[in-house]
Amino acid sequence: MGKTFSEKVLSAKSGKDVRAGDIVTVSPDYILSHDNSAAIIKKFRMFGVERVSRPEKIVIVLDHVTPASSEKYAQNHKEIREFVKEQGLSHFFDINNGICHQVFCEQGFALPGKLIVGSDSHTTSYGSLGVFSAGIGRTEAASVWATNEIWLRVPETIKIELSGKLKPGVSAKDVILKIIGDNGADRANYKAVEFIGPAAQEFSISSRFVLCNMAAEMGAKNGYFPADKTVEEYLSSITGEKIEPVCSDEDASFESVLSYDLSLIGPQVACPHTVDNVKPVSEVEGLAFDQGLIGTCTNGRLEDLKEAASILKGKKIAPSVRVIVVPASRQEYLKALREGVMETLIEAGCVVLNPGCGPCLGAHQGVLAPGERALSTANRNFRGRMGSRDSEIYLASPATVAASAVGGKLCDPRKYL
Amino acid sequence: MSEFVFKGRLWVLKDDKGNLIEDIDTDQIYHNAYLHITDISEMGRYALGNLEGWKDFPSKAKPGDIIAAGRNFGAGSSRQQAVDCFAALKISLIMAPSFGAIYFRNAVNSGFPVLKCAELEALAEKEHIKTGDRVEIDIRIGKARNTSTGETFQVEPLSSVQRQIYEAGGLFAFAQSMEER
Repeated sequence: MGKTFSEKVLSAKSGKDVRAGDIVTVSPDYILSHDNSAAIIKKFRMFGVERVSRPEKIVIVLDHVTPASSEKYAQNHKEIREFVKEQGLSHFFDINNGICHQVFCEQGFALPGKLIVGSDSHTTSYGSLGVFSAGIGRTEAASVWATNEIWLRVPETIKIELSGKLKPGVSAKDVILKIIGDNGADRANYKAVEFIGPAAQEFSISSRFVLCNMAAEMGAKNGYFPADKTVEEYLSSITGEKIEPVCSDEDASFESVLSYDLSLIGPQVACPHTVDNVKPVSEVEGLAFDQGLIGTCTNGRLEDLKEAASILKGKKIAPSVRVIVVPASRQEYLKALREGVMETLIEAGCVVLNPGCGPCLGAHQGVLAPGERALSTANRNFRGRMGSRDSEIYLASPATVAASAVGGKLCDPRKYL
Repeated sequence: MSEFVFKGRLWVLKDDKGNLIEDIDTDQIYHNAYLHITDISEMGRYALGNLEGWKDFPSKAKPGDIIAAGRNFGAGSSRQQAVDCFAALKISLIMAPSFGAIYFRNAVNSGFPVLKCAELEALAEKEHIKTGDRVEIDIRIGKARNTSTGETFQVEPLSSVQRQIYEAGGLFAFAQSMEER
């Protein structure tokens, strides 16, 4: 019997022949944390060791509340900077870099076959580059800092075969929303999700990122695309390291196999207050909203910003809405600037924020008032996530958010093609 | 010595229609607005602070209480405050048909018992368990009894790794004991 991707990576890392369900103790290649490093530091101090075990494995990116919005957040950032200095951590990225998951990939830490853990649930994103990457909590993050080890349960794997060609105006976001809507927010709890098939290979790295990022919203431990030529090309400009892809064997055992023909998928919307409450745009068309959000780690790359700009070019957003744009990183921001994409968005009336998590998690920048409704490209629509618990969040693609912003009401982006 | 048999008052997290609430995500358990807090003892007062109908839970909960929730409890973010806030209130354990993956890990690593119970929805629906009942649960063997009604039911006992970490008193103690070996 062959092995799945996850069984292979965790077998190699543990030095044992392991299968789904086994528990392994492994040393991750990298460990990511963000503003929550302040809390991790507190935990680490309780562990009883002076120095972190492997400083070169620790990656810290400040992104959640940047620049600091209050004295408390400023104090947390300050403690993190001091810790970075004290422990001699070289992989520290301050507030001017962007959202941790995007920055992590840009900096060449995410390589095929690597094992990466991060104290953020969307650590699953690096599966877009063929990485086994999973979110963990901060106690275990502190423990990994101290011991260089973590226990993991080898996950079963759900294989999702993608075929067919996406219709114009439909994107990776619609695909993953459709999959989550059909299967439920807990369908992949504790499990791995493999995206494979001819249509999977057609996806850009940016689009793969969207699917792996949101695999977390099915409860997945990790989500991934097998590394291929597209990954190799993407990484060639970032790192000189030799790429060694890991793929599931043909005869590996899968928990289940799902199939999707992308040509049959139209624009989708996740309605409040769970990500699996998904409907075709046509069913909610005409719904007025107050705030649009284009960007975040889910949809804040050049590909996404361009998709929005192509619709907003020469148009103005409705006076009844405000639209916030958050690029995923400084690099993506710069690319969009140089291509004139940002100019188009600003001319249309959008407000551009610095790359960071900002409004997505409701800590600052664009917090919603009671009774307000947001239409967002982010990954979560939990009650109260963006501010008041009496506000609502609808999730959609950049094209859908941009098109809807023009009339101030939810609409099918294909009417602007 | 770790405690294995818990006796406590039960809270069944139902909505106003009387259904066990599913998909209680980490934003409902512990809102983003309080993420800057790093001291666990301060987290209790925000537990379930964003869950419709349960905002006053911290003022009603007593040490030793037991929580029963719907499927996919703790979905969403990796924030550990969503576990720590219950530990701060000295809730003894949480049972649910299933848990968010990272939430479950966080609880295991904190040495906080979280137990899967497949029949919980049926038990709650038939009112075989109700808020205010006293329950007794042996987490080693998964045997549970509603001492208010005499009804017995089964929960999944602690898994091997879960028990080792629980017995050690949390991940740190567990990791330190591994280092010493």
